[in-house]
Amino acid sequence: MGISSWLKERIPVSGDQLRELTNEPVPNHLRHWWFCLGGTPAYLFVIQIVTGILLAFYYEPSSRTAYNSVKYITDEAAYGWYFRSVHKWGATLMIAAVILHQMRVFFTGAYRKPRELNWMIGMCLLLLTLIAGFTGYSLVYEQLSYWGTTVGANIGASVPVVGDLSKQMLLGGETYNERTLSRLYIIHAAILPVLTIVLLGLHITLIRLQGVSELKFSSEKEGEPAHFNFFPDHLLTEIKIGLVLMILLSVLATVLPATLGPRADPLSTPEVIKPEWFFYVAFRWLKLFSGTFAVITTGFIVFTMFVWPFIDSFLRRRKGLEEASVWVGILAVLSIVGLTVWEAAVAH
Amino acid sequence: MTLESKRRVIFFLGMLFLTSLIFVQWMEVTRKRQEAGLDDAHVSVPAASKGCVDCHTDNTPGIVSHWKGSTHAKKGVGCLECHAADPADADGYPHYGKHIATIVSPMDCSKCHVTEGKEFATSHHAKGGRILASLDNYLAEVVEGARVPFNPHSKTLGRSHESEKVNGGASVESGCKQCHGSQVALVATDGSLITMADLKPGEDGKPTNTAILQKIQKDGKGKPVLHSSTWPNTGIGRINLDGSLGSCSACHSRHDFSPRRARQPENCGKCHLGPDHPQEEIYNESKHGVAYRDLRDKMNLDSRTWVLGKDYSAAPTCATCHMSGHSRNGGKVTHDPGERISWTNRPPISQVMDTDKNHAVILETDPEKRRALIADSWEAKRNRMKDVCSHCHAPDYVNGFYQQYDDLVRLYNEKFAKPGTAIMTELKKQGLLTKADFDEEVEWDWYYLWHHEGRRARHGASMMAPDYTHWHGMFEVAERWYTKFIPQVREIVDHAKKDGRDEKAKAVEQVVEEIMNRAEHRWQKEPPKPPEPK
Repeated sequence: MGISSWLKERIPVSGDQLRELTNEPVPNHLRHWWFCLGGTPAYLFVIQIVTGILLAFYYEPSSRTAYNSVKYITDEAAYGWYFRSVHKWGATLMIAAVILHQMRVFFTGAYRKPRELNWMIGMCLLLLTLIAGFTGYSLVYEQLSYWGTTVGANIGASVPVVGDLSKQMLLGGETYNERTLSRLYIIHAAILPVLTIVLLGLHITLIRLQGVSELKFSSEKEGEPAHFNFFPDHLLTEIKIGLVLMILLSVLATVLPATLGPRADPLSTPEVIKPEWFFYVAFRWLKLFSGTFAVITTGFIVFTMFVWPFIDSFLRRRKGLEEASVWVGILAVLSIVGLTVWEAAVAH
Repeated sequence: MTLESKRRVIFFLGMLFLTSLIFVQWMEVTRKRQEAGLDDAHVSVPAASKGCVDCHTDNTPGIVSHWKGSTHAKKGVGCLECHAADPADADGYPHYGKHIATIVSPMDCSKCHVTEGKEFATSHHAKGGRILASLDNYLAEVVEGARVPFNPHSKTLGRSHESEKVNGGASVESGCKQCHGSQVALVATDGSLITMADLKPGEDGKPTNTAILQKIQKDGKGKPVLHSSTWPNTGIGRINLDGSLGSCSACHSRHDFSPRRARQPENCGKCHLGPDHPQEEIYNESKHGVAYRDLRDKMNLDSRTWVLGKDYSAAPTCATCHMSGHSRNGGKVTHDPGERISWTNRPPISQVMDTDKNHAVILETDPEKRRALIADSWEAKRNRMKDVCSHCHAPDYVNGFYQQYDDLVRLYNEKFAKPGTAIMTELKKQGLLTKADFDEEVEWDWYYLWHHEGRRARHGASMMAPDYTHWHGMFEVAERWYTKFIPQVREIVDHAKKDGRDEKAKAVEQVVEEIMNRAEHRWQKEPPKPPEPK
């Protein structure tokens, strides 16, 4: 009995069935790489999992040991600096890729019926990615990450009704204490990855069931096939993007490796406290308005983003505002970019 | 809107996002590199000091460059925060619309660094300038130089100032005072010197003798002239015009005031080195110094806080043991290095560091009176040092070390220092020495014995440097005692006898022979048996 028949007996799926299962027809617009950014966050997520496991071999989540273990990873463990840097830059690129993917979906109206639920799953994935970024940086236990976490938890506390509870859940007490880091670590390294994998699976399953939304550009000639094969054509594009990303990550990790500031000192508040860059927009918003107002409006904006497919449907059908989403999208992107750049440019 | 238009919108917004991402990441990386100490922080020049920085960037770029690398610059402490002077200050002068003073005294630094200023003011460091009337200074002022200027006795080729008098104080000014500190003086219109003794500063540092301010000589720009014999000077015990003692920049070099530098032994080695107090060389020879050189990269010298047992544990430096915070004292730094020193090995006979409320070593011999005077005992000081030692050594090890150190000091004190002091006192009492110091060989030899060799032995033992304890220390003490000092005293006694001063000679002889007949000195007369094997 050959290996092929031995395997077929135990995995009763034929090659044809497997090809049919994976080789979904892909719309022509996905021949262009800039429409393939949906796969990029998933690719980066895998890199984060692999590098995260390697870092977890050495990381010790307690306020006494965390900083020294990160220092050990950075200064002494073989290639520790590289994997830490790839993990750091992977997080940045993953968040950027999720935002770019979401922009593409938003402006092409790919969230519309029947894909409303998948949009909401995507929103959940965006929030999970942001929380993973926040908790991940907190684990470094350097001065800025410690105070960033403290400020972040205090901002969370200003959410009406559930604020105090959420802060206590995050910190494991009223303030940052001995138990906080282990809690953040479990959230970062266990809860968030599992949730992300589950939602990512759902996200891809729904795409597979509903198919990729079709975009027909005028440059496409009539009579030509509107689709091409996933395998090998589209897969090749994804592999190319993956290789370029890996090179970009390696270059960033080598040229701008992750640094390590001074160890966290709970008794000494730094002059300038800033969160990670992806929270700059919220941080600047908070500085512009009073705490509670800013938190409530932020919550309202996030909620609006969640239910946007239904709002958009209402505006189009009832009000005839076909292009409202485009103008709202332009305003939103300009605001996000503007507030982020503003916060990055100023010292305080 | 067509799909093509939407594509253009996506392209434009995507590019905008990516461009902003590059900018944001650039700012983020810059900020984190600064926080990690890899790059200098961005400096915001305070508005009041902007003019100073602009002009001095061209005129004295080194000063501005150093300042830009300082914590002061990061925290917005500019030039005027330290150099601004009050119109009432004797050394203040107008400078491009501002009123400033050149010298920044500990009183100026204490405006912000209050605790550090108080601790330093009570330290032995702050009193370093009081060397002025000591034997060491007599050597430099009189023996090496001259207390009066004198005429050159021949021409110096290439010099045009042949009529210029020779400054007899040059050795003191470039030598002693650069470590101990000068008494800062302004030049008066009649050429005399104006010091804090003339200005009589009040508690706020302002002169109370305002009449003398009119006599201060000023240059063409209205700047008071500081006398070159007293400035430039960053001696640690400098006596300033505002009455404060010391110079913070002795350790915290201007204008970057680098904590990193102050943590390194080389910083202390500007003064704590040489034949009479080779602390830096002793440290270098010790296991502590060896470990420091090897593990310097792990010392976390750039850390904002530098707490032993928390921020680093690789090796101790001078600052670690004598000044810096550690995990057992809550990280509290002291600017009084005497707080952890239990012997003073500076005088001919070492004394334990029981200090009074004025932080002076107590010399009272009556036990009860002595007890009443003690504000901080030598045991308390030793325990503070033991707290540092115990970060790396077990209690038995630390106690064993201190036993060895105490034994060495007591051996030196009892065998050589106290007897030598008794002999010199008796020689003076009987008038067998001339009035002038250092005009007789025995005075030089006694000075070498305690001031150079005796200190080397004691300091060597205090910091675990075996070669300095023995070959550069006790060996040379013994050699000088037996081959020079005692033979010279006996010669003086013989001369006195020949000169008919029998009674005086016998008084000294009695002291010498009583000492030389003691068990520890009898080896010359009765060679000891070799020790029996145990």
